[in-house]
Amino acid sequence: MITNEIINDFIEKIPPAPKALQSTIILLKEGKLIQASQIAQTDLVLNAYLKKIVNKPIYGFKNEVNEVSQIFGILGVSSAQQTVYNYMMTLLSTDKWELFQLKESSFYELQARLSRKWKQILEHLNINDMEIESAITLLPASIIVAEALFKSKKTDVNLLRSVNDLDLNTILSRLCSQDLFDICEKIALKWEMPLSITQIVQASSGFKPLENKQLNVLGKWMHLLLFYELSQPLFIEAGLNNFIDFKIEYVGDIYDEFASVMDIS
Amino acid sequence: MRAVVKNGVGIFSPQGFLDGNNGDAFLSLEDIHATIKINADIILVSLKKVVFFNRNGLDIFVKMFTKIREEKKIPVGFCDYDLKKYNTIKTFYQNELDFSLFSSQDIAGLFATNYKNKIQSVLLYNEDKSQRSAMAIELHDSGHNPIIAQTLAEFKKKKNIPNTYDIAVENTYLGQMGENVSARVTGNSIIYTVSTFLDADIGNMFNITYHNNSLNIGFRLFIFDSHKVVSMNIHALNFFSRLSSSGAEYNATICFVGLTFEKIPQVFKENMEDAGIIFFEKMEDILGNKKLLNELGASSVTAVKNKRVINKITVNELPKFIDATVSTIEMMTNSSAIKEAVKIQSMQVSDYEDKIASSIGYYGDIDGMLILVFPKGIAKKACQLLIGEETDDMELILDTLGELVNIVGGKVKTYLNDNKINVNITLPRTYQDTNSLLEIVQNRKGVQVDLSFDNDKFLFFLTR
Repeated sequence: MITNEIINDFIEKIPPAPKALQSTIILLKEGKLIQASQIAQTDLVLNAYLKKIVNKPIYGFKNEVNEVSQIFGILGVSSAQQTVYNYMMTLLSTDKWELFQLKESSFYELQARLSRKWKQILEHLNINDMEIESAITLLPASIIVAEALFKSKKTDVNLLRSVNDLDLNTILSRLCSQDLFDICEKIALKWEMPLSITQIVQASSGFKPLENKQLNVLGKWMHLLLFYELSQPLFIEAGLNNFIDFKIEYVGDIYDEFASVMDIS
Repeated sequence: MRAVVKNGVGIFSPQGFLDGNNGDAFLSLEDIHATIKINADIILVSLKKVVFFNRNGLDIFVKMFTKIREEKKIPVGFCDYDLKKYNTIKTFYQNELDFSLFSSQDIAGLFATNYKNKIQSVLLYNEDKSQRSAMAIELHDSGHNPIIAQTLAEFKKKKNIPNTYDIAVENTYLGQMGENVSARVTGNSIIYTVSTFLDADIGNMFNITYHNNSLNIGFRLFIFDSHKVVSMNIHALNFFSRLSSSGAEYNATICFVGLTFEKIPQVFKENMEDAGIIFFEKMEDILGNKKLLNELGASSVTAVKNKRVINKITVNELPKFIDATVSTIEMMTNSSAIKEAVKIQSMQVSDYEDKIASSIGYYGDIDGMLILVFPKGIAKKACQLLIGEETDDMELILDTLGELVNIVGGKVKTYLNDNKINVNITLPRTYQDTNSLLEIVQNRKGVQVDLSFDNDKFLFFLTR
């Protein structure tokens, strides 16, 4: 159904991160917000993306923000980097979703919701780390990869799942000995994203706990956050709720704290 | 959301958080109807991967359950929960609890009315005495051997005795159960359980499609366990007489066990006997008498009067059956499956030992049965994607082989429907050895195709 050759071909075709983006990220890492926004302005698609995403209600800005310098200024260095990484992920995304009933706007919505809630979680955990804040941006890549690999196998997948409760991650792992998160890691390496990002995202798959306790706890929070968002009607209807397996036992020890942060009662 | 249907139990598995805002997004009545269409006779929502739910969220499902329960008369409810979730649901609904709660999918399967081969020794406990009794009755009617623990302490003590019980049932609640006639397989006979007053509704409660399919796949003896029947009217009489007459072309026998004629007119008995129905007092009178079982056709199908042969339309569609098999094996193994030889003949299996098989029937515009026979080791390999790990658990391998042939059946159905040939598929059946399969297909001609993947050979047989 899906072979390692198909996966390798998919990764091979991923272009390197555009130079303007690379430069923007380097400048953001150095804390040079103004210079970063000047470089970012040269990429018109990035400009349009930034405007769309930060003007979503979840960002909570009273007035519409249009200038990249203004956007970066409001977001600050960490969130600006997070948003630029989010944009990088959209470069992988498809114009026409087939496996999942997503549109550009709903995918952006998912990115925005995950990013804002992740920031909220990190604030609760008193973690102030640029790379960790950006880690959440790699998570939706698993959805893009699943779409790319499985869209032509929709009928087979549906038949398989009508007799056995298998998620896409497990199917891929059993067929190819590598899963969606392994492929995300390869994308991250190709785009020279920091190691801590890939580690947290691997842990957030729910079945690859890390020895590093802090990163493992973050993996748990990310796993739970993902399923909190995938329980939203928009994403359930898009067919995302069960694309990977929710490991309820993995998040058992942080659930009450999560419920308190997200105000779930 | 799509359900997984196993052994007649259709299970929806939402993940994450469930509240009043998203219940409708997880599940719709259309989803449930589509599941019932593919042979589910219990509809359940698994709470295994639900980390949070509230009353509003559950209410959305419960409203759908009520509609389905009224419309289809089948059991509905929740399964796969821990004690905390069980107590929460009971607190939410208290006296309004008219749906069922099964602590696991395996326990739910015990109460399904579809065919089951294995009788299970079931230890059960519920704090409510009437629930204990209701469960014991349902389990008994489904052919199992229930043992009630009278106290929790007794339950815990007995549960810890190794190798005594196949399964222990606790934290389970039976809401309104189905009204459909339950069916179970014992050897080569099918036992239906009927109860109370039988009237025209028997036509709705009895799954005639399954009955016809079981005739098609070789069952010849049908026993109605009617110990709990109080009486019947003329409509029920006509139904059973017609059922018996229509089975005659297959040389099938219908027996009633435990039916008393205290409140049923004696003339009904005479009419039923005229239609070929035989009466027995106790189940052991039939099942304990091998000679009688043979006479009644419960040992083989050699006595079939009208042997049905592969017809032209089936031969024309044969490539679709083979394609469905080949593409399924390719999907499951990530390797190429190759067709090696095609012959029209009776099924020929070399090396009867060490082979297992699975079959699935199809009916509608055309009908027949598709059989796959695998060497045990190859079956494991073919099912690797579904099993996921190395195993020698034969029950698991057979179950998985059933899933595999179900996928093939699903593909055949799609291919044929695309060509305006409408068929439905039966539940898959598995065979731990080829002897029981050969009894069914013995002397039947069909199309045999030798197939292989990675040089591992297996056999495809299509017959009517």
